[in-house]
Amino acid sequence: MLRTRPWVPYAYLAPAVALIGLVFAYPVARVIDFSMRLIRGDSGPFVGRLNFELVLEDPTFHAALKHSAILLLTVPVLVAIALLVSVLLYDRVRGWRVYRSVFFLPYILAVPVVGIVASYIFTRNGALNDILHQVGLERLAVDWIGSSRYALLTLMIVIVWREVGFGIIVFLARLLTMNEEAIEAARIDGAGWWARLRYIIVPELRGTMEFYAVVAGITMLAWVFAYVFTLTKGGPGTATTVIELYIYNQGLRNSLPGMASAAAVILLAFTTVLITILFWLRARAREEEIA
Amino acid sequence: MNQFERPLSRRQLLRYTAGGLAAAGFAPLVAACGGDKESAGTGDTGTGAAKPGNLKMWWWGEQEAVGIKKWVDDTVAKFKEQQGSTVKATLLDTDAVIPQFTEAAAAGNVPDIQFLFNGIYHMENVWLGYLDPLNDLVDAKVLENSNATQLSVFEGKQYRVGFYPVGFGLSYNKDLFEQAGLDPDSPPEDWDSFVDACDKLKAKGVIPIGGGVKDGYLGEWYLVNTLTQNLDSAQDALSLFIGELDWRDPKYHEHWVKLEELKKAGYFNDDIGSVELYQGIQLYDTGKAAMCFNTTPAIPNSQKQLGAEKVGYMVMPTFGTGSMAGTPITDTQGFGIPSKAADKANAAAFLEFMHSDERVNAMWELSTQIPANKSFDASAIEDPLLKTIDEKWVAGDTNVYIADLMPTLFWTDAMFVNSQKILNGESTGEKAGDVAAEVTAKWKKQNPDLLENYKTWGTDLAEA
Repeated sequence: MLRTRPWVPYAYLAPAVALIGLVFAYPVARVIDFSMRLIRGDSGPFVGRLNFELVLEDPTFHAALKHSAILLLTVPVLVAIALLVSVLLYDRVRGWRVYRSVFFLPYILAVPVVGIVASYIFTRNGALNDILHQVGLERLAVDWIGSSRYALLTLMIVIVWREVGFGIIVFLARLLTMNEEAIEAARIDGAGWWARLRYIIVPELRGTMEFYAVVAGITMLAWVFAYVFTLTKGGPGTATTVIELYIYNQGLRNSLPGMASAAAVILLAFTTVLITILFWLRARAREEEIA
Repeated sequence: MNQFERPLSRRQLLRYTAGGLAAAGFAPLVAACGGDKESAGTGDTGTGAAKPGNLKMWWWGEQEAVGIKKWVDDTVAKFKEQQGSTVKATLLDTDAVIPQFTEAAAAGNVPDIQFLFNGIYHMENVWLGYLDPLNDLVDAKVLENSNATQLSVFEGKQYRVGFYPVGFGLSYNKDLFEQAGLDPDSPPEDWDSFVDACDKLKAKGVIPIGGGVKDGYLGEWYLVNTLTQNLDSAQDALSLFIGELDWRDPKYHEHWVKLEELKKAGYFNDDIGSVELYQGIQLYDTGKAAMCFNTTPAIPNSQKQLGAEKVGYMVMPTFGTGSMAGTPITDTQGFGIPSKAADKANAAAFLEFMHSDERVNAMWELSTQIPANKSFDASAIEDPLLKTIDEKWVAGDTNVYIADLMPTLFWTDAMFVNSQKILNGESTGEKAGDVAAEVTAKWKKQNPDLLENYKTWGTDLAEA
């Protein structure tokens, strides 16, 4: 076995560690520092936990937190749709390659483009309501983005429409590398489509589904700003304000980067806990598999 | 096989990828809130002739004063021709105007000339030390003639020169007024006549008032046109915004009660909640709505679309009893020089060049926009409506635009929220007053240091 001095591996790691430190650790440290200061311009006096107290007692933050949590409900929807569609495509329905591209197409569109186009489709006098009127479903023609009752739901629909393409492709890629013998054997043994899905495909896809659920969860918490900003700007009122928009408003519009940073730290902590739980569950499942 | 030689398993890869994405997910957040101070040149200072330079200018205005870009481009070309300096003019998006400059100033990477909205939209940058007073940089006559308004002055120093004036009011369609049996040459002046006009227009199957509140700006224009009516001075507005007067007092939220009445009576387009300000104005410009909240720089564009003979413009009909009621409201867009600008002398020279007699008159000739300069020869205006606008909204007695005194937290959490909720039928004028009071208290708690600046500014305004 090749022997090296003990510090050599660390020397190889150093550039990567330095890069990660510069790209991730430094900004995170700055945000934590900002969160404890009354920032005016590029610095300000230390105020301890004041920014956190102000954020936590702010009704707008409560609304933002609630809406971000509600957006997490789209994660199981995304997983379910991606699973269903990918399995249908895996069954090689006629033209499945075309469908695969069609389903993935929304994902390559820039989010602001999706948001702006959707805002035209979902206005009260927009394309969707026109169609509903034409097919005699005028009772369903509501003010999709102008009403507090429907705006968040509309936002969720648009997010699912665009984001599901990624899940379909990831699931399908995993399915295409799967050993088909087990499925064939089950088919020969008389297992129906549902039984094959439940007892063979889903267990095989479990790791991929968990990965996608984590990515989708992070997207809902920390990557939906562009949807909100282009589609509803957080309104009506605060009906679609999410934590990201709250951070943007406090940091850039209201000149309170300290409070924005405090909200970002809370979001970071919340997401870290979420990811840790998911990884812990994953590790436990893996141990069970081995056992 | 030692651990360094072991290939990465699929699950490990997925796990590490997920971890990487998790970290990447926070990158934009932390980057948005981070930022670092960079060194920047202090720049030349002082008045007088400067060597030709290369200036950077960030500006805004084409969105509001359609056609003004032609004048800006021409001014840049003539400045190079006559003084040898180049100006790289970058047109900003509306949402970028305020945050982009503040961020750039914090990083020390600023343009030489910056477009600035009036009042608080540049005053917070003044308090942060990001803008230089212009008194020692720009000719005093230019400062005075450019109508930058008292809201550009803090502790006796002026921080902007004017660009073009913006008069606020209601555009109306004379044809549709006539069809509804209304006198197109004497639009309503009081609230009862206004409601009566809306009724008649609605009965004719016309949308009385076109608007869009999704982006919030209509709520701001409405508030300025109506809240002002119950105030006696700009200082009253400032006192409301900092909590020294109470929004729960009926006269200070009466404007939202009136908005609720207009909404309940069905005088707005039914999609007002899901379209934006300029989409709402488009309803007026295409003849679908009889009126819309509008600004004077947009009038020439409306005339092009509807026909000049159909376009009328009026001061918001009154219900209020304050000293400011019934007087036209005018703001002025403007430019300033950042403290860290690289070439302040040439920047000042460019601002002075913009206000030379030839350039002032060229703004009208090239863009059909009235310039913000008292020396403008208004006899060049032939259109009767634009002549009236110049006399009443530019050269006449006017009120300041009180939204320029509004803290941005009030904009996002009170004005934006209240106007949308009322126009969606989800709130009342009275509740809006409660929300405004709560947001004002919240702003004071979150900004104890700014409160002092506001009070000083209030004293300046009272003495003006």
